[in-house]
Order: sequence, then structure tokens, then C-alpha cells
Amino acid sequence: MQNLAVMTEQTTHPAPHHAPERLTFTYVPRKGLMKLTIVNFLLSIVTFTIYRFWAKTNVRQHIWSCVHINGEPLEYTGKGSELFMGALYVFLFMVLPIVLIGALIGLVYGPESPLLFVLQMLVIIAVYVFWGFAVYKARKYQLSRTQWRGIRGTLSGSAMTYSLLYFGSLLAKSMSFGWATPVMNTVLQEQITNDMRFGDAAFKFKGRAGPLYPTYAACWFLSLVAIIVAIVAIGGSIGLEKLFGGEGSTTTPETYAVLAGFAIVGFLLLTALIVPMLWSLYIARELRTFADYTRFDGAQFNLDASAGSIIWLSVVNIFILIFTLGIGWPYINQRTVRFVIDRLSLEGLIDVDRIRQSQVPLDKRGEGLADAFDVGGL
Amino acid sequence: MAIEAVFFDGEYARDRAITLDVQGNDLVFSGQDVPQTRWSISGLHPVDPPSPGQPFRITHHSKPGARLVIRDEAFVHRLVAEHKHLKGGYSWTHLKQVAVWTAGGILAIAALGYVLVSFLPQRVAFVLPETWRDRVGGQVVDGLVGKAKRCNTPAGDSAKSAMIAALAEGNTDLPPLSMEVYDMDLVNAFAAPGGKIIFTKGILAKADGPDEIAGVLAHEIGHVAHRHPETQLVRLTGIQVLISVMSGTNGGDFTSNVAALAALLRYSRDAEREADTYARQTMDKANINPMGLRTFFEKMIKDEGGAAPAAKDSSALDTLGNVFSTHPGTEDRIKQITPLPDGRTPAQVLTPEQWKSLQSICG
Repeated sequence: MQNLAVMTEQTTHPAPHHAPERLTFTYVPRKGLMKLTIVNFLLSIVTFTIYRFWAKTNVRQHIWSCVHINGEPLEYTGKGSELFMGALYVFLFMVLPIVLIGALIGLVYGPESPLLFVLQMLVIIAVYVFWGFAVYKARKYQLSRTQWRGIRGTLSGSAMTYSLLYFGSLLAKSMSFGWATPVMNTVLQEQITNDMRFGDAAFKFKGRAGPLYPTYAACWFLSLVAIIVAIVAIGGSIGLEKLFGGEGSTTTPETYAVLAGFAIVGFLLLTALIVPMLWSLYIARELRTFADYTRFDGAQFNLDASAGSIIWLSVVNIFILIFTLGIGWPYINQRTVRFVIDRLSLEGLIDVDRIRQSQVPLDKRGEGLADAFDVGGL
Repeated sequence: MAIEAVFFDGEYARDRAITLDVQGNDLVFSGQDVPQTRWSISGLHPVDPPSPGQPFRITHHSKPGARLVIRDEAFVHRLVAEHKHLKGGYSWTHLKQVAVWTAGGILAIAALGYVLVSFLPQRVAFVLPETWRDRVGGQVVDGLVGKAKRCNTPAGDSAKSAMIAALAEGNTDLPPLSMEVYDMDLVNAFAAPGGKIIFTKGILAKADGPDEIAGVLAHEIGHVAHRHPETQLVRLTGIQVLISVMSGTNGGDFTSNVAALAALLRYSRDAEREADTYARQTMDKANINPMGLRTFFEKMIKDEGGAAPAAKDSSALDTLGNVFSTHPGTEDRIKQITPLPDGRTPAQVLTPEQWKSLQSICG
């Protein structure tokens, strides 16, 4: 047995070599997601939600294995215990101390103590500063647990650098009324994509934010117009009623209250529906552009995402979430992954056989901070 | 029967074509650039459960990075039928792991709960600095008495001092304490942190003599001696921590809520018993007739269920329950109060004049 193993080692030097190939992505569904969803839900109840880390892992395993690249499926090698440990670590060394310090301050200096306010401010600032850290670490964990042809991905850079960049981008966006968004998003995407590896092969991101601005400007002004129109229309209709109702009108204060109620609901609906729909134009544009800017080996990515398809994806996802009371989240993850895979292509040839295993060490725990912050994603 | 399959060594992304066969308890495979390799079937592990239309991937514990990819569904079907562990899906090891962590989590929360709610509070209460007790006590009293007036007359105050002196003198375990009367009609008395003992005008009116009030005061001094008010406050903070730990929220702001303050001073049966015991011992030492406490106790119980406190002082004291809060065991508590032993004549707690000036302290 042992010398057989040694012989296998010896074969790792290059032998017959395939020519560089084109890679195609397909989503090949498999049975079992319904069963996973139900069993995960039941086990989560029985275990007071502790099972959710294993549930997340099961679902990723399932969805990853449905993503085929040139016929060979992806593999998710993460473990539920790793996610659990990540969350436990953050709980014991971050959440619990903060709660205890807060309780102590409240006990000693009273609940109105300014120290308590200072503590809350510090926590909020820390969340903003470390949000990018959480995003980066979670992405790194997922990439390092994703294998194709036995080779795993990773992020090879510093999570802290990304986190500071992320914090800076939040400041820049808010101070520029959003106008820094295309530039900052491009910078962030460049930072994280250039850190991305598959085995020893690197992803490259190169491109400018300029082409994003026409769409961004259009969305920005259209949103402004939509909000102003909504305010004017609602305010106007109430005002008109007041003007022409005059004396002897049947309009009672109660009617006004009802009208005002309708007006507020209408305003909220309008802004909650129309504005995000408008912005999906920009999101689609950004996704397409960032894919175009991304290269791997000799190939360039292409993502055929449109605003309409993003709206459809989000609306159906929200309906699934509402009508299954959240239990159907695995289907939302599946639909989101499928959305990308169905529209993603790589133009150009890649010398797959040359790619070697990543030498970046694996993190022992995963996604603790992202779980605590409730960072979105799969 | 040998079949075609693909091998990945976990070092290169290159796929290597192999031929694969079952020989006894082993899987044996080799290819153009893969020397003959023998994997025990018992050491195999499926990456995903076998599924039609999907390649079946397996790995072996001797080389966890390597992957065998089999697309021959008939072969996979036969292999999995003979070796159930290749079916994948939910494994006992995982479920056991989850069960252990769940049990561990529940135990940890229970342990934390025990420490925060039972073990720590009284210990912490005894080491809290005097300034803290005094300040927090003031807040609690303000919250509970609302806008009611505090009653002070020179004669009444000296009567209070005389009563406290009679009960507290020589008790070295006592922190500083004070007794105040508030102009409220409901019948109640309570001890707040910092040794602040509060009586209502109503309870003084209800009493038929100084012995009864002395008994109630002795009971409240018992709470002070055991640091019960402070203990409850620390316990409340502990409960808050426990809630935020379990719910992931900040646990709500109890201590700024008057209803919570009232709940805070509702003691457990054990605490009441402790205060009773302390009261009996103190009265015995001070030679005060314990039957005053007993008669007052009985009077209060008779009133229970009858007329609720007539006054609506819009005070949280209504929800506090009275000194002899009626939880089960009240009968028992009364029975424990017995007269002074034969041959001992109870001392006079207050002179009739002093008693009159105390009762009329609120005018």
C-alpha cells in the first residue's frame, strides 16, 4: 500500500498535456433540495437553531455540486462545525464581552450613563470599520472551500486592507450623496478580484469606473424625479381637495386623515418599488461591466445580466421568502447561483492542466463575523 | 468488470483517464500516467450522494485531496447497493456532533443563567460600594413613590429614630439604614437599596400599636441586612445579559421602567423567609413582642381579596404587592411567629405619645 502511495506521488510531474480549452458553465439540477430544506428546518427547531450552520453547509454542498464547468461539478468542502466555531468564537470573544461591559456600566453608573452611549457608539463604529473585514473573510472562506477538479480557490491578500478601503468607500459614498459609488465599487471590486486565486492561477481586474457613470447619473436623477413627483402628487391631491372642497364640502377631518394615510402608504410603496427597480438598471450595468473587466488566464468573463432579469429574480425571491416564512431560503440561494451561472461565460482559452493546488493555508473557522453582522450572501 | 473513470490527484487540475475495477474489498485503478492504486472500499467517502445525471465523486481517507469521478451509472448503482456507506446524505457522525453542540449550548446557557441569576447576585450585592447603593436606592424610591410627599415632623422623626434604635442597636451586620414615611393611602412598606426603608401613611393608620409597625420594620431591616434589594437589582442585570445573549438584542432597558422596579422588589419566598427569621431574632434580642407582627400579618391576609387598596396613587407600589405578599407558604410564615418565652415581659417600643406622633407624621 505504502509504496503504491509513493508511486502516485511520483506521477504528479506533467505527463500528456491537454490543449488550452474554453470553459462553459452550466447548472445541472439534482434531486434532494426539497428534502434538505425540510429536514434542515426540522433539525433547526430541535436544536434551537444551532443546526443552521450545518444546514447552510448542506445547502451549499448541494448547490455547488449542481454547477458544472465543462461537465465537472464544483465541490463545497466546508464543514458545519467550521461555521459553528466561527460564530462561537465571535460570540465568546466579541459579543459576550461587549454585553457584559454594557451590563456592568448599566449596573454601576445607571442606565442613563453617558458611558453606555459611548460604548454603543464604539460598537457601531467598529461594525462599520470591520464590515469589509467580515465580507472579505467570508468570501475567502467560501472560495477556499470551493473545489473544481480537486483544486481550491482563495483570497491571497489582507482582509484589513480591504476593510479600511470598504470603510473609506462608505464615507466617500455618503459624503458625495452617492456619486462616488461607481468609483468606490470599482476600486473595491478591483481589490478583491486581484486577490482571487484558483489554485496558483490569479484573477485579474482592470478597468475604469467612467463607463458606469451615464447609467448611474440616469438612475440618480430618475430616482430624484420619482421622489419629487410622488411628493408633489400626494401633497397636491390633498391640497386640491382642500382648495376646491371649500365650504359646504362633505370633506370631514376623518376623510382627511384617511386621505393622508393613503398618501403616505402610496408614497412608501412608490419609493419602495419604483426606486429599487430603477436602480436595478445600474446594478445590471455594474455586474456586466465588472465581468468584462475580469480575466482569468487567457479568458475574459461575460455576464449577460439585464435589469429586467434582476427585478424578476428579486421579486420571486422575496415572494418565496414571504410565502415559506423564510423556510425556503435554500431555493433563494439556488435561484441566485443559477441566475449567475446561466448568464456567465468565459471567452478565450484556459490552460487548465497547468494549474496547481493553492499553497495558501486554510482558515480553521469560517464566517463568524459575517454571521454576527448578518452580511448578505449565500 | 473494469470501467472508464477520471482521477484528480488534488495537486494539479489535470484530469487523468483511468480504468477502475472492484477486486475483493478494494477499488483498484490505473491509467496512462496513474500507477496502479488500491483503495479499500471501507475507507471510501462519497463527496455527494449518488444522483442520476451527475457524476459520482468519491475520495479515500489515505488521500483526502484526491477525487475519483465515475460516470458509469450501472457501476455506481452496484457499488452503492453493496456498500451502504457510499450513499452519503445525513451521517450519524454529523448529527451526533450537532447533538453534542446543542446539548453543550443548552448547558452553557443554563450554567450562565445559574451564575448570573442565582450564584452571583447576592455576592455582588455585598461588595457594592456604599455610594452606589445610596444613589441607586434614591432612584428606586423616586420611581416607586412617584409624586407622593415625604412626611417629616420633629416628634415623628424622633419616634422613627427611637424605633430604629430599638431594633438595630448592636446589630453589626447592618449597613446604614433609614426609615421614611410617604403620604400615600395604600398599605405598604418596602426596603430599597441603600438601606432605605419606606412606609406609607396607610400602613401606619392600619396598625393598632407600635409593636405591629416594629414587627414590619424588623422584617424590612431583615431585607436590608441580607442586601435583598441590591441582590434583585444585580439579578435583573443578569437576566438582561441572559436575554441579550440568547436573543442577540440588547435585552431591553429594565431599570428605567417603573413596572420593572416594582417587579424588582418582589422577593422570592426564600428571601421573605430570611427576612422573617431576621425579624424574629431581632425582636427576640430587643425584647419586642413578636405577636404584633403576627396580628398585623393576619390583618393583612384578611383584607386580601376584599377591597383592593382604595387609593389610586398612580404608583407602582400598587403592583408591588404588600409586605406579606401572598404566595403559598404564608400560613407557614405566620405559624413561625411565636410569643416571647414565658417569663419575659416585652419592652415598650414607643411611648403612647411617640406612637401618636409617628402615626400623625403626615398630618
